[in-house]
Parts: sequence; C-alpha cells; structure tokens
Amino acid sequence: MLKRSQWLENARKLDWEFSYVKEEEVFPEVASGKPWLPHDQWKDWDEPYRTSFTEYVRMQSKKDDALAAVREAIGKPEDFWRLPKPWLSALKLHAATLPLAEFAAVIGNLRGARFGRDSAWRTMATLGALDELRHTQIPLSSMHGLVHHDEQFDWTHRFYHSNNWVAIAARHLFDELLLTSNAIEFAVATHFVFETGFTNLQFVALSSLAHDVGDRMFEQTLNSIQSDEARHAQIGLPVLATVFEHDPAYAQYLLDKWFWRAWLLFAVVTGFSMDYLTPLEHRSRSFKEFMQEWVLDQYVRSIEELGLKKPWYWDTFLSALDNYHHMVYASAYSYRASVWFDLVVPGPEERAWLREKYPDSWDGFDRIWQTVTEHWEETDIGNDFAVHGTAIVTFCNLCQLVLSGGTPAKNTATTAIHDDKKYIFCSEPCRWIFERERERYGDHRDVVKRVLAGEAPANLVALLTEYFGLRFETWGKDAFGGDYPWLYRKRTA
Amino acid sequence: MIPLYGFLEGDSIGLLVLADENDTAADLAEKLQSAARIRVKAEAKMKVVYQGVMIASHTTVAEAQMGALDRFDVIKGELR
Repeated sequence: MLKRSQWLENARKLDWEFSYVKEEEVFPEVASGKPWLPHDQWKDWDEPYRTSFTEYVRMQSKKDDALAAVREAIGKPEDFWRLPKPWLSALKLHAATLPLAEFAAVIGNLRGARFGRDSAWRTMATLGALDELRHTQIPLSSMHGLVHHDEQFDWTHRFYHSNNWVAIAARHLFDELLLTSNAIEFAVATHFVFETGFTNLQFVALSSLAHDVGDRMFEQTLNSIQSDEARHAQIGLPVLATVFEHDPAYAQYLLDKWFWRAWLLFAVVTGFSMDYLTPLEHRSRSFKEFMQEWVLDQYVRSIEELGLKKPWYWDTFLSALDNYHHMVYASAYSYRASVWFDLVVPGPEERAWLREKYPDSWDGFDRIWQTVTEHWEETDIGNDFAVHGTAIVTFCNLCQLVLSGGTPAKNTATTAIHDDKKYIFCSEPCRWIFERERERYGDHRDVVKRVLAGEAPANLVALLTEYFGLRFETWGKDAFGGDYPWLYRKRTA
Repeated sequence: MIPLYGFLEGDSIGLLVLADENDTAADLAEKLQSAARIRVKAEAKMKVVYQGVMIASHTTVAEAQMGALDRFDVIKGELR
C-alpha cells in the first residue's frame, strides 16, 4: 500500500489539459473571476493543511463526537437559563445572523469547488463546503431547540426569511459575498478578509468571553467551528497573492471593499456582545482591544507582507473603532422593538468601564445614556414604549445599516445623486464602494425608500409586526424592564 | 409632506423628518429634537444647516428649496 506522501501530491494536483473545449469555457471569467489567467499561472497554488478526504472525515467525526458529549453534559435548556440575561441576547444575535450565513457560504465554497483555478484549491473548497454545512447545523440544532422556552430563539431560523432591517442589511452583505461572488472574489473576500481577518473575533475572542461567562456550550461550539475556519481560510492567501501579482489594483480594491463591509457587520454582532451584552464582571477586554489583537495586527501584517497597503480609509476606520458600535447600540437600544433580542442600559459601573476603554470617544455616548437613564427614572418598570423612539430611522444605501457613522458630534452621512436618484451613505467608504459598483447596488431600496414607496408601513407598530415579522412576544425589550438596582426611580406605580 | 434626513448634534442616528413646505427652520429643529428626545436633551438654541449653510430661523422649507430626501443638520448655536 502506498504511503500518504507517495499519493497525496498526485491526488491534490489532478489538473489536465482539455482536448475538446477551451480552458476559458471550462472556467469562464464570470464564474471563476478575474483576472482570467491560464492554469499555468495557478499551478503552484498551495496551502499548508493538505488534508485528504479520509483525514477530513476522521477528524470531523472526532470533533462532532466531542461536541455531542459536551452538549449531552451541559447543553440542556436549564443550562442556558442559568446564564445572565444579557448574554442570552448575545446568543440570539449570533444564532440569527451567522448559522444561516454559513449555509450560504456552502454555495460560495461549492463555486470554488467547481470554478477554482487549481485542483488543490477545488479540493480544499469542497472540504470548506462540508465545513460550512456543519457550522450551520450545529448552532441551528442547539439554539433553535430553545424556542420551546424562549420564542426569540425562533429567529435562529426566521431571521433571513424576514424583512427585518438587520436581516435586509445582512442579506445585502451575504448574498453578494457568499451567493453571487465568483470564485476569486469569494476566496479573497470570504477566506482572506472575512475568515482570516474577522472570524477570529467572533469564534476565538468571543469564545474566551463565553468561557468567562460560564457558557461552556457556546465556547465549545465556537472553538469547534473555528478549527475548521482556520483550515479553509488558507484558501484565501494564495489566491490573493496570484491576483496581486497580475492585477495589484484589483487585489487592493477587493481587500478595501470587503474589509469595510466585514467590519460593519462584526462591529454590530461582536461589538454589541462584547461591550454591552457580556456582564461587566466577565469582560476581560473591550471590543476595541480584541479588534486590535485579533484583527488589526495580524491583518495589516499579512497584507503588507504581500506588498498591499492598508485601506485608503484607514483613519476613518480607526475613528470608527472608537465610535461605530457605540453609535449603533445606542440607536438599537432606543429602537429595540425592531430587533429580536433584548438590550440593556449600561449602568454607572459599565459606563465608567467604557470611559476607561474608550477615553477619546465615550463622553458623547455617556450623555446619551444619561438621557436614556433619566427617561427610565420617570417611567414605570416595564413601560418599554415610554423609553423608545417613534420616528422612522434612516438607512445607508450601501450597507443598509442605520445612518450611525461618525460620532454624536458629527454624523458622517454623505449624499450623492446619480441619474436623478438621491442616495445617502453612512460613511465615505460605503459611498466609495457604491460608486465603484453602482450597477450592482443602485436599484436596491433601503427601508426608508420602501416606506415612501408604500411597500412597507410608515406606522412603527405596523412596520414591526407586518414588515419586520415581530410580535410583542418576540420583539426586543429592555432586558430588565428598566428595573436596574442602580436606577433611582422618581415615579412608582 | 417632504421627507428629509435630519441629523441632530449629540445623537447617534439620522432620523426621517416629515416636513411641510411651510415649516420654518425653527420648526425643523423642534421636530428633530422631539423625535430624538429619548437620547438627546432638547436645547433652546439650535441652528439648522442645509447644504453647508446656516438657514435663518424664519426661512421655510420651500424658500430654502429643500427637496425630498435632502439632508439637514441641527447643531448647537443661536438660530438667527
């Protein structure tokens, strides 16, 4: 019997010359991506894991057995209800936004498995597709099961099938990134930017917080998923290196575009969880500190090693690191009935911690939370809508998230007119991406334009129930009904 | 009604303000502050900026030639 080293290279590198079709027909640019290069330019494509299918199945089986044992021991509903209430909201946010996005990533990986330009890439993408299916099934199975005890967990499945504003934004991102990207753009955007750059934040850094909170089930789930991500993320770098060699401007564009888009998503999903929904006593570091450790240092080092530059908007990004997730969280709290998880008001100790972690930006947010707190002081416990916004909020025409760019002192929203149509963007990078690919994004209507066109109701409660798909039982509330031990209530029932 | 994007200094989000063409700059400032009151305390002295220029308090939406989906800002300062 042949040893592994004797057959693996031949099995991985199984490319051949076509006799009755052209290479361009087998790998058309529309599906394989640009720059279109003959296979000769891809033949040295390589990645470090070099996993065979047998090894893959054996390894995944062990991981699944280990996770099943953990779930058996500590994954029962009563184990979840012991967790702090705000942390359960972090789980609901994760459960709705990521597992079904991973399912969409199966498609992106399968496109790589068919249209990737080298056989070793295609093999890895096949394993990547299997990984993503696993990353869908594990959290769907463990978290949707909690719906019997808490209806908000129904959004684990419901989210992407709704017109909730967060779902519209997430679909706008993931449909492009995972479902429609060609093999090259998918590899650079998903494997290099998203998985090498950002998923460490959710799957490693947040996993360490899960450990501190005592949520061992979520911790083990994230760890198990991340071990797969670390392998198939390796597809990205060699693809990027080849694109850079032949079209450096396009390589830089892909990085700059997808770094910004990924940043906005993780600022909301991970930023909320780390700086607001993790109980203060369990916070080891701030979202910004985790970003610096897990994303910035490594990402900048990897692109500079290739000869690429930081994105042109780097200063804007560094400012956003101090502000963006705080801007969106304060906005989301005051429109919490528009989401499927509960939010909390940061109390005096949390505000002191946030000031220490964000000394350059916290003042503006502290004033907002002081005002929110004073409204709760005048309001009966549980009277959520007395401390809730009623005006229609506004959305960016690129990312579809709320117009919460910049700082409380200066919102960075920027407008543009194209073909007599008016557009508005949360930031210059969103505007730049939109204008580079206007034919792709120009006809997508944000929630405001849907309301003005009569597609969505203007009345807030009707918008929540008829369009966003929420009900009183499922829409977000203050996690404690405004009943905080530190809050001096001037009015009593 | 004319839908406008309003941005209030001190706030975390832009809001849609439904304006009448006869609304003055003072009316716009009041409407936006009222819509944002959960997060930002209303102040008496605020001015309206449209296309980079401060609008006098008595100037109407029509006179300022504000159109649907235009942006205005309400910032701290005396409304003249």
